[in-house]
Amino acid sequence: MNLSSRMVIVLTSVGLISGSFLASVGLLTKERIALNKQRETEAAIVTVVPGTTNSQIVYEEEGFTVYEGKEDNGNLAGFAIYASGTGFQGKITLMYGTDSSMTKIKFLTIIEQRETPGLGSKITDIEAFLRYWENKDMSSSLTLHKPAASSPEELAPTEVNTITGATISSEKVLEIINLSLERLRNLKKEGKLSSEEQDAS
Amino acid sequence: MPAKSIRAEYVKGLWQENPVFRQLLGMCPTLAVTGAVINGIAMGLATSFVLIFSSLVISSIKKLIPSQVRIACYVVIIATFVTMADRFLAAFFLPISKSLGPYVPLIVVNCIILGRQEAFSSKNSVGRSLIDALGMSSGFVLALLILSSIREILGSGTFLGHQVMGAWFKPWLIMIFPSGAFITLGILLACALFIESKAKQRR
Repeated sequence: MNLSSRMVIVLTSVGLISGSFLASVGLLTKERIALNKQRETEAAIVTVVPGTTNSQIVYEEEGFTVYEGKEDNGNLAGFAIYASGTGFQGKITLMYGTDSSMTKIKFLTIIEQRETPGLGSKITDIEAFLRYWENKDMSSSLTLHKPAASSPEELAPTEVNTITGATISSEKVLEIINLSLERLRNLKKEGKLSSEEQDAS
Repeated sequence: MPAKSIRAEYVKGLWQENPVFRQLLGMCPTLAVTGAVINGIAMGLATSFVLIFSSLVISSIKKLIPSQVRIACYVVIIATFVTMADRFLAAFFLPISKSLGPYVPLIVVNCIILGRQEAFSSKNSVGRSLIDALGMSSGFVLALLILSSIREILGSGTFLGHQVMGAWFKPWLIMIFPSGAFITLGILLACALFIESKAKQRR
């Protein structure tokens, strides 16, 4: 056999064998990976809309999903909004919950972030950042309180805290949330967030 | 090359030819993921898995591969094992997979792996290649463990997530940053060279 046909045969068979191995590994792990992702989302929904036992998607587009969280007895517990955008160094993915009438933010949680460790990564810190997002007014855009406040009482209902040393990361989170709040308001106006409950009323 | 004993073949990876401290290979994961011990260990084990299996496969089919396309074949085989490791971590060790991020797929271009295939597995028997890969893997895990222990203890005051430093200790933030990785690696390399030169003098 001449050299070039040997090269073709060897490379092709190496590729084919590797490919089939990968296909089987992909099949074996696919379900598990999807399940992980789903569990992660469910855990985040329960964190931001406490009392949720059952959730479903009411609106979905690229990088923006609205979930409706229901309590055990079928009452609407609130909505969970999944949003993502660019941070200081990479993508930030977050989720926040609202009350059932979508007037106030309940809780915020960061699902994924690649901010500077020790500085920007404080956006996942409850004490320094997340607790300042509780009970914020959703009717207009939120603003940052600078310099950093030391307790949530110092802030107006439309203000959230800045992290000392991580202004950009704080701004990026705010940007993602303000953008998603605007989308939410538009969706609400267009009546695209109609849930069963609203249909019934 | 005179045939070495099996033991020497393994031990050389730990010190004499340690991939990180002596050969300066695989610097990207060494610097990037050693901010926490758990990440260092996970990266070390994932790389070991890829190195050991690639060495096994490549040393057993080395005679079939024409030398003109050997690198291409090695890369395909290595990439296959890397993808397997990546999917496995994503399926069963989600938090680790998330914190290692893009560095798991990047094992494909880790010089230790391709380097061992080219320098060793393509010329030696399956058994020797396995021992060599085990030795190099242990050396790599050891290096990452040392580096990440220093960085985590000084940078966060913890070891494997457990608080080890007292309340008086103020974490050195710089150790978590890339600059901390370079500084620690530089000091460790200097120590390695110093020990080596002392050992040479004694001989």
